Amino acid sequence: MPDDHDENGADAVDDGDGSTRSAFEGGEDTSQERIETATNVVLAVAALGLLGGAMVGLISPAYLVFLVSLAGMYALLSLGLNVQWGYAGLINFSVAAFFGIGAYVPVLLSATGSPITDSVPPVAGVFVAVIVTVVLALAIGIPTLSLREDYLAIASLGLAEVVRLVFRNQENWTGGTSGVGGIPLFFDGVPVLDTLPRDIGTVDVGFYTLGFQFWNSLLNAAIVGAFVLGSFLVLRRMHRSPWGRVLRTIRSDEELAEALGKNTYAFRMQAFVLGSVVAMLAGVYYAYSNYYLTPDIFDPIYTFYAWIAVILGGSGSNRGALLGGVVIVAIVEGTRAIGDVAFSLDLVVTQLDVAFTLGASFRLLAIGLLIILVMRFRPQGVLPPRDELIWPGARGGEADE
Amino acid sequence: MSERDTEPAAQQSSGRDAVLRTENLRKTFGGLTATDDVTMEVERGTITGMIGPNGAGKSTFFNLVSGFYQPDGGEVLVNGEETTNMEPHEVTEHGLVRTFQTPRKLEGMTVREAMLVGPQQQLGESVVPLFTRPGAVETEERRNLERAEELLERFEIARLADQPATDISGGQLKLVELARAMLAEPDVLLLDEPVAGVNPTLANKLKAIIRELNDDGITFLIIEHDMGFIMDLADPIVVLNQGAVLMEGTPEEVRSDDRVVEAYLGGGGGE
Repeated sequence: MPDDHDENGADAVDDGDGSTRSAFEGGEDTSQERIETATNVVLAVAALGLLGGAMVGLISPAYLVFLVSLAGMYALLSLGLNVQWGYAGLINFSVAAFFGIGAYVPVLLSATGSPITDSVPPVAGVFVAVIVTVVLALAIGIPTLSLREDYLAIASLGLAEVVRLVFRNQENWTGGTSGVGGIPLFFDGVPVLDTLPRDIGTVDVGFYTLGFQFWNSLLNAAIVGAFVLGSFLVLRRMHRSPWGRVLRTIRSDEELAEALGKNTYAFRMQAFVLGSVVAMLAGVYYAYSNYYLTPDIFDPIYTFYAWIAVILGGSGSNRGALLGGVVIVAIVEGTRAIGDVAFSLDLVVTQLDVAFTLGASFRLLAIGLLIILVMRFRPQGVLPPRDELIWPGARGGEADE
Repeated sequence: MSERDTEPAAQQSSGRDAVLRTENLRKTFGGLTATDDVTMEVERGTITGMIGPNGAGKSTFFNLVSGFYQPDGGEVLVNGEETTNMEPHEVTEHGLVRTFQTPRKLEGMTVREAMLVGPQQQLGESVVPLFTRPGAVETEERRNLERAEELLERFEIARLADQPATDISGGQLKLVELARAMLAEPDVLLLDEPVAGVNPTLANKLKAIIRELNDDGITFLIIEHDMGFIMDLADPIVVLNQGAVLMEGTPEEVRSDDRVVEAYLGGGGGE
């Protein structure tokens, strides 16, 4: 703010009106609108490209459905982390622990290969997973959430590793590194839905025959879609509530929030638990879209994917978290395609290993580049929060935007 | 202004009623005694000033009574109830609200949003009512919004409401902070250097607003280095020196007290 302004209240605003900006879309921030338009165009082109690819037989419909589900899975991870980092400013590096819990808990209760039991239907297992998640989040949160942010980062990463090592080594409970097999379908034990993918039978569409595999992945996509939609709607309401406003205050200035009578520890804990539950749901999809589950799901890389998604999408923005999920899939699966290309080219000179490394390093390179570009040109992310955090409807009487 | 039930009593009995009281309050940092057995009272309905040379322990005292520091000894009482060792938010619940020496900016918020953090015990700050009683949350939010806008208008900064809270000047921010503190309905408001870095026009305006709010029943405890400002506004004035209360009295008494002059000129009197 220039110092030559008359600071005397209303007068200063008259002087300053021409030079001040609005932080939100109601103002003249056209660059935000341009970026949103560009984002929509890119997403639409990508969607059309994929659909077109499927129509001419380049991409199988099952793979397409898988891509969409995967985007939903990463979106859940980033929606969850967004509650913690984007709303409350918690630097949480334990996302993968809850991702793993969401996968392991229902599977350990339902899979035939489980060392514990296979008698609990997966749908009920999800509720157990919610309870385990809340307990684990409290267990991680109670000692760490009173720490300063950077210490929280280190402590949460360490505790997530502890969880990973427990699942790797506690073979009598988790099957250890050899994992758990015999995972049933998610709707096992639920009338109609459990046999639905088989009952539909096979349908011929042009290049493909859609059979059980396709219908089953479509059902899994519906599950992850329901999780994403439900989480998004719940989080959107919470974000724009006084609750969300307190979290944003804490993120910005915790002492100020305390001075204004907010119990910051309790609010941080709520954000931590809620975000962990949302991230846990991603694990449920992961487990039931695979036949086999290994402790690799606890790999910290999933935590970092979630972080990249949130930072790219725009910290504090639920829409941004969804976009981030899509971008992660584009990078992870897109670089796999690049790796495949390199693979087939190199096959002539039989450099298989080199080709494989190229795909993986391309992924890291793409992620690194993207982060640098976003941080350099758009530090607030692609789709930062656009609304004032005021309960919708409360401003009804005003002639605003 | 305030709807606290203690308030009506305060209006009538401006006698011995202390809204804030400390007894032998003590804080040491290593070998340094920042607050040395401070016993003082802020009488309800007053504008009490707190002055003292740099390092006299004024800010430490604020941090102690508002719960940001834990005292090494002594007691703090707000509205007659002990708040020693409480968390800052609990102290606020007892009716004591403070501002900070450097104004705190809320990143990514408009002034309107930043104002709405002020009201205490909002229904919408709990998770469950957001889904079970959205109508009640909306009603409450609308009421808070109205009160916020009333205050902004009263402070003549209503046109700032749409501005990002990070984009307004330091002086304007002080007004916003004061207005927001009012939404918390405090019994006693602690202001840490309200006119530091504020131009004289705005300082006069702040003075007028503080007087007005005081007439409405808010008690003030104000740290200020601007002698003209504080001598004009506050009565009584407490002088701290080297962590201890040097004297307390009317502005005239303070001005004519040799010990005060000595403390300011002698760099603490100990040399």
